[in-house]
Amino acid sequence: MICDAVCMSDTNAGTFQTQTQIQTNPIRHVLRGYQTESGVADELRDEAGALRPVWSEFVRHLASLQPTAVADRFRRGNQYLRDAGVFYRKYGTDSADERDWPLSPIPVLLRGQDWDVIASGLIQRAELLERIVADLYGPAELIRDGHLPASVVAQNPGWLRPLVGVKPSSGTFLNFLAFEVGRGPSGQWWVLGDRTDAPSGAGFALENRVATSRVFPNFYGQSNTRRLAGFFQGFRDHLQNQRKDKSEPIGLLTPGQMNDGFFEHAYLARYLGFLLVEGEDLTVSDGHLKVRTVEGLKPISVLWRRLDAEFCDPLELNEDSALGTPGMLDAIRCGNLSTINMPGAGILESPSLMAFLPQLCVALTGAPLELPNVATWWCGQPEERAQVLAQRDRIRFASAFTARTAFNEDAPTPEVPTDPKALKAHLEAHGASLVGQETVRLSTTPVWQNGGLVPRAMTLRVFVARTENGWQVMPGGYARIGADRDATVLGMQSGGSVADVWVMNAKDDAPLSAPTLSTAAAPTGPQHIALPSRAADNLLWLGRYIERAEAAMRGFRAYFSLRNTGVREDDPLALMIQRGLLQAYATDPMTLARAFEMPIEMAGVCAAKTRDRFSVDGMLALKDLARTTQELSARSIAPDEIPYEVGTLLRKLSGFSGLVHENMYRSTAWRFLSIGLSIERAVSITTVLSEALKPGAPEGALDLALELGDSVMSHRARYASWPSPASVGNLLALDPHNHRSILYHVMRAQMHIATLPPPPHSGLSSQSMVMALHRQITEDLPSGMSSNAMIKIRAQIWTLADQLAADYLK
Amino acid sequence: MIYDIRLRLTHFYSGPVGFGRHRVRVVPLDIPTWQRVLSWTLEGDPVPSEQLDERDFFENHSSFLLHNAPHAQMQIRMAARVERLVQQLKQDTSPTIIGLAAEIASLRDLSPASPHHFLGRSERIIMPVDLTRYARTQAASTSSSWAAVQLLGKALHRDMRFDGSATTVDTPLEEAFHHRHGVCQDFAHIMIAGLRSLGIPARYVSGFLRTEPPEGQARLEGADAMHAWVSAWCGARMGWVEYDPTNGIIVGTDHITVGYGRDYFDVSPIKGVLRSSGQSSVAQAVDVIPVVAY
Repeated sequence: MICDAVCMSDTNAGTFQTQTQIQTNPIRHVLRGYQTESGVADELRDEAGALRPVWSEFVRHLASLQPTAVADRFRRGNQYLRDAGVFYRKYGTDSADERDWPLSPIPVLLRGQDWDVIASGLIQRAELLERIVADLYGPAELIRDGHLPASVVAQNPGWLRPLVGVKPSSGTFLNFLAFEVGRGPSGQWWVLGDRTDAPSGAGFALENRVATSRVFPNFYGQSNTRRLAGFFQGFRDHLQNQRKDKSEPIGLLTPGQMNDGFFEHAYLARYLGFLLVEGEDLTVSDGHLKVRTVEGLKPISVLWRRLDAEFCDPLELNEDSALGTPGMLDAIRCGNLSTINMPGAGILESPSLMAFLPQLCVALTGAPLELPNVATWWCGQPEERAQVLAQRDRIRFASAFTARTAFNEDAPTPEVPTDPKALKAHLEAHGASLVGQETVRLSTTPVWQNGGLVPRAMTLRVFVARTENGWQVMPGGYARIGADRDATVLGMQSGGSVADVWVMNAKDDAPLSAPTLSTAAAPTGPQHIALPSRAADNLLWLGRYIERAEAAMRGFRAYFSLRNTGVREDDPLALMIQRGLLQAYATDPMTLARAFEMPIEMAGVCAAKTRDRFSVDGMLALKDLARTTQELSARSIAPDEIPYEVGTLLRKLSGFSGLVHENMYRSTAWRFLSIGLSIERAVSITTVLSEALKPGAPEGALDLALELGDSVMSHRARYASWPSPASVGNLLALDPHNHRSILYHVMRAQMHIATLPPPPHSGLSSQSMVMALHRQITEDLPSGMSSNAMIKIRAQIWTLADQLAADYLK
Repeated sequence: MIYDIRLRLTHFYSGPVGFGRHRVRVVPLDIPTWQRVLSWTLEGDPVPSEQLDERDFFENHSSFLLHNAPHAQMQIRMAARVERLVQQLKQDTSPTIIGLAAEIASLRDLSPASPHHFLGRSERIIMPVDLTRYARTQAASTSSSWAAVQLLGKALHRDMRFDGSATTVDTPLEEAFHHRHGVCQDFAHIMIAGLRSLGIPARYVSGFLRTEPPEGQARLEGADAMHAWVSAWCGARMGWVEYDPTNGIIVGTDHITVGYGRDYFDVSPIKGVLRSSGQSSVAQAVDVIPVVAY
């Protein structure tokens, strides 16, 4: 019915709509700019220009929303992504900016039965690729029997010689794949690219789904859209069953937080319960891969690799890689490590291989490819060169060997001469390194622009994983959408966007399975995963930087409160804050503010590296704090407003500390964070007291110490007198009930340290050191409270921090 | 000719190193009809906590050494007794360069000595335009592949200056070629790039030279450290033939082969990853002494 209502030809979908028409036909209004092009398939409209049935309810829903409501909903989706920390990096000449994730909130809707054709074709392809890669790293019969020229393999940088002859310990080379597919003018789906090394995007697909379902909550909830969770569950179960020892964690290897996929890696690790590790967390001994943890070296036998194989082992592959683990290939050769996918599987990404895939499929399986490739010719052979030259106008050249692109796919295309004669000579000389590919006009799909839908070119990235029940296809994935109708510019780096893909079951299809990822599946109860040393180190420092920032903010606020009363900058108390506490050699707000800006920045770095261990709220609080700090330093504020402004910052900071203590599971990770907070707080109080207790300290120094130690009220309540060195010293150093005192924090650190696993080596340990420190504070300090005693205690706390690092963090 | 070969590779570190993993390729190869290894030993000092002796893809000896106790210096010592057999200088039965291309295309082979591995670019080999032009000029007077190999090798020996201080192990070949100077590694890389640009499969050979020449002959360049030269494939009949561009000679019994690869990357004598904060330096000492002269 709706379909009939919007049936119209391209030409009269014109833009001359009047206000009354909008009111009478909102669907027509939403589609007023949706003009498809002839010779290009469209997802929304069929060849006759009619709305495809799979879209009808969605378009009606969209049209029923008020324009302001649409804008609000889109904002909600973007807000979700920002809050969750989904972003991508824009690579510039010398920087990598974080940008908002460019989600197009309109999903791509596909019929279940159309999708099943894609899924079946990709499963066939996955099987075929497995057989090919097993042969190329094994008997090489495809070469011997003439199905594949030897040079396509021998000159391919993706063919990793150190792994030739090595059988994967799991029995299979491929466990997780992605395919780029697009729809051609006739409506037929084509495979445009194979991602077989360390394909990215599955986590982003999941996040797109969450964001898009928040934009259309009611519609999504009631729709027959196939859910994604079961796909991940099947893959996770499969990996868990591959482990040698069921108590060990599954590692997820990331290149680190500077990589454009880091968010996704942290997200997937948290979602699937995998251990997020970087190359430097790992080491190889006795032919086994092990992770350095606070409990010593722990084995890992299954590793989901999100680092390209090339960078995995600097001793055998790219020697400049600082991201890998020397010896990793040895662990694989020893049969003790299964990585997903097997290093070397990336050779299947080569466009040159794609040229041979149709014949290889027939030769190996007796059947043609269900989903055709985009037509590809390898220019290393004379007949193929001739074909390419004969249809030059319809050909795009690409590297024969590297599909190597970042996640954004903006691979540079090789330069070839335009002059036909020169091109012929060029292909004869360098043909082996080039392929020609037919250019395909890809289908268009709707995006939202100026209050209505417009068509844009798109491709789909589809994920396929091995499970206990064989290959499974994620029923969805994500669409990459071009900045305009031209399908050759799809990369996000060039202004494109991404969208969720909804596979819609027909009403009478079987009901959908439960959409949740079951986490209670493990029959052995909660698993214990040791904390990697590097994560512990970052958490400890996060705590220290947060506390360091707080101490500096309090000093900063006190300084300007003092100056605002008319005190000059050479006043002894002002100098004590400036030089003794803030350690600054200028008195302008900008310089002094660096004392807390720097630690906030550093805290952000530490938190980003341990993103997988933080609640979304914790990250948000920290981001908010960083943002407010930056805003504060960006505008010039009058000195008399500073105390108020810093008050806001301090409240946000306590908000973060509160979250840490209220909302974090009492894990070893939390303990290191808490130890960091305590160490730094104890250090800052020793610094304050060492200044305030100096012989000849300026007048007002004791009051200042109470203010900086946030203990003005406690002092009033506990001591019915003006502050004296004894009362201030007692309250800030020795009072076990004052949550700001040195003793309180040494005791808290001691409690945490006592619950840590014993360090792997014997001798002096942080345990005995913190006990000695405690003894000294309770036994020696009461009779010898002085500035010098504080300096000594501070030095001891620093030594304790070093010992902790030596015990657990190296 | 039988040789006793001794090699010492010493790494000096400015601060203690807590962890070091090295991959070492210094043990000579057994090559049918040409070279026999009678005995060999390889040891690390301090004694490595793990040592694994393997063969790599090209069938070279490759050892992994792990040190995980703090140390300030690390030495690798290799000793071997090797017999180098006298080879008849081959008759030139090589095809033309065009004929060679057809032979290569018909080879369905990915085994370690297949010429397919040794064409085109590799980790350290690119083919700059000026070098391609140079190679074409030098080989212009012949159509025989083997003659082209010798012409290019002789030309490089004539036009390039051996200079032990002008380049480092990481100097790109186009830079060394531009200045027409370098050490054996540069000579070998440049010749390999030139041969591949002509379509002749060429591989990198790492090895040793006898230290003192036979009486009445000049001492060869590169005898104080490990040496490098070139092996070129001149068709199925002739197979692989070796040429030393640093010395401008066809390889004979003064050379002892350690390994083959596409370039230095595949056969570097030592490669390592350390956990340390300081600098390190390397010293290499080589002795190649004839034991029995036929």
